Amino acid sequence: MCGNAAMNEWRTLKASVRGAAHDRTGLPNQDAVRVSRFNDARSFIVAVADGHGSAKCFRSQRGALLAVVMAKQVCAQLFKLGSPSQIKRWAEEELPKGLVRCWREQVDQLIKRQPFTPKELEPLDAASRQQVETHPYLAYGSTLLVVIVAPGFILYLQLGDGDLLTVSAAGEVERPIPKDPRLIANETTSLCSDQAWNEIQVRFQTLAGAPPALILAATDGYANAFRDEAGFEQVAGDLWALLRDGGDAAVKPHLKNWLNEASQQGSGDDISVGLIWRPMALPGMPQSPRLE
Amino acid sequence: MAKRPGGELATRPLHFIWLTDCSGSMSIDGKIQALNNAIREALPHMQTVADENPNAEVLMRVLKFSSGAQWHVSQPTPVADFKWVDLQTDGVTDLGKALSLLAEQLRIPPMTDRALPPVLVLISDGCPTDDFHKGLQALMNEPWGKKAVRIAIAIGEDADTEVLQKFIGYPELQPLQANNPEALVRHIKWVSTAVLKAASSPASQAVGATASGLNVPIPVPLAKTDPSIAGDVW
Repeated sequence: MCGNAAMNEWRTLKASVRGAAHDRTGLPNQDAVRVSRFNDARSFIVAVADGHGSAKCFRSQRGALLAVVMAKQVCAQLFKLGSPSQIKRWAEEELPKGLVRCWREQVDQLIKRQPFTPKELEPLDAASRQQVETHPYLAYGSTLLVVIVAPGFILYLQLGDGDLLTVSAAGEVERPIPKDPRLIANETTSLCSDQAWNEIQVRFQTLAGAPPALILAATDGYANAFRDEAGFEQVAGDLWALLRDGGDAAVKPHLKNWLNEASQQGSGDDISVGLIWRPMALPGMPQSPRLE
Repeated sequence: MAKRPGGELATRPLHFIWLTDCSGSMSIDGKIQALNNAIREALPHMQTVADENPNAEVLMRVLKFSSGAQWHVSQPTPVADFKWVDLQTDGVTDLGKALSLLAEQLRIPPMTDRALPPVLVLISDGCPTDDFHKGLQALMNEPWGKKAVRIAIAIGEDADTEVLQKFIGYPELQPLQANNPEALVRHIKWVSTAVLKAASSPASQAVGATASGLNVPIPVPLAKTDPSIAGDVW
C-alpha cells in the first residue's frame, strides 16, 4: 500500500506546445493539459486532451480544455466511495458514462450561451454543416487521457489516441493501457463520438507493491514525432533517469524546448505532456506534495 | 541545452503510389506516352507541395500491371530524388494481381501506424482480366488499404468506370475521366498537388465523423479550362 508518506513523494510536471504545422498555418494549440489536487490533498489528477483539428471541430480547443477541467469534477466522486473494490467497479462501470455526460452537458451550456456563428460555419460544405448542426458535439471533439494517483490506487483512463507510459524504478517501460490498433490515419475515438463511453478504456491498479517511478501521459503528437515506437518509449525512460538523478531542475527548464523540437523535426502536431514521478528520497528534496 | 529525451525524431511518411495500367491497349493513340509525360511534368509540382509541409516525408512508388503485376519503382523514394522512368506496354490487364501486390506492402509492418494516409492513384484504360474482387478484398483487408486515399483516372471511353468506382469505395468521389492528353495532365496535376496537400496535413477527427466516410477531405478536382482546346481522342 502506498501510504501518506509515499504520496508526499510524488511530483508532477506538465507542458504543452503549439505544433509546428499550426505555427505555419496560424492555428492555435488545440491541446490541453491540467494537473490538480483533490480535496483530500493527498490525491491528484493529471488530464491531457487533444482537440481534433478538422474543419468541423472548430471549437475543439475549448472542447479539450473543457475535458481536462470536467475530468477532475467527475473523478472527484471516486473519493466518496469506500473500498478499493467499490472504487474499481465505479471507475469501470460508471465513470466513462459520467465523463461523457458531464462533457456534453457543459458543451450544451456553451452552445446555448454562444451559438455557432455564420463565420464558424461558413468554411464547411453543406454536408459538413448539416452534420455539425445535427451533432453539435463534433465542433468540440477531443480525446481525453487521465491518470489519478491516490494513496491506495492509480487509475488510468483513455479515450482516443495519445499515450500512457509507466516506468519502473529499474527503468522498465510499460503501457498500462494497450494501444488501440484501429486508431490510424488521424482518426480517433472521441468525447463527441456516439456512445463514446463504450470506447473509454480504464485500468485500475491497486498499490499493493511498488508503484511506478514515473507515469507519462501525452497527446499523439509526441509519439508520432519519433521514427519508431522504441524511440518514443525511450522518452519515458530518459525522463525518469533525468528526474531521478537531477530532480525537477533537470527537466522543467527544458521540457517545452524538447516538445518544440519534437514537433518541428517530427510530427508537426501540438504536443502536451503530463508527468508524475516519485523521487527516490534524494537528499535535499522537499517532502510536501508539489503540483506544477 | 540538456540532451533531448527519446530516440530519433522523424517526420511522418506519406506513401504516394501510382498504379498504372501497362496493358497493350495503352499503346494505342499515344496513351502511355501521354501518361509518362503527364507524371513527369507533375513531379516539380509535387516537390513544391512536399516542401510546403516539412513534417510529411512524401515517398513515391510505381506499380505496373499488364500480364501480371510488378513494381516499376519498388523502393519508397523521396519525391526530391524521384526520377520518372517511362512505362512500356504489353499484355492484358491484371489489376487484381496489382492490388494483391499492393496489399502486401500496406501491411503493418512494413508500414508503420504513425504514417499519414497513403495516396493510391489507379490509372487504367480497360477492364480487369483477372480476379479484381479478390485483389480489392486483399487491399481492403489491410488497415492502411482501407484508410488510404484512393483516386482513379479512367483513360478513354473503354475504361471500366464501375471497377474504378469500386476501387475508390466512396460514391461522392468518382473516377476522373481523361479522353485526351490535356485532361490527363490536368487530372495528374490535381492528384499530385491538391490531393497530396490534403493527405499530407490531415487534421485529426472522430471516427465516423465524416459525412462521406473519407478520412481525408478531398478538394474539388480542377475544372477544364477551355473545352474548345482539346477534343476527345481516346
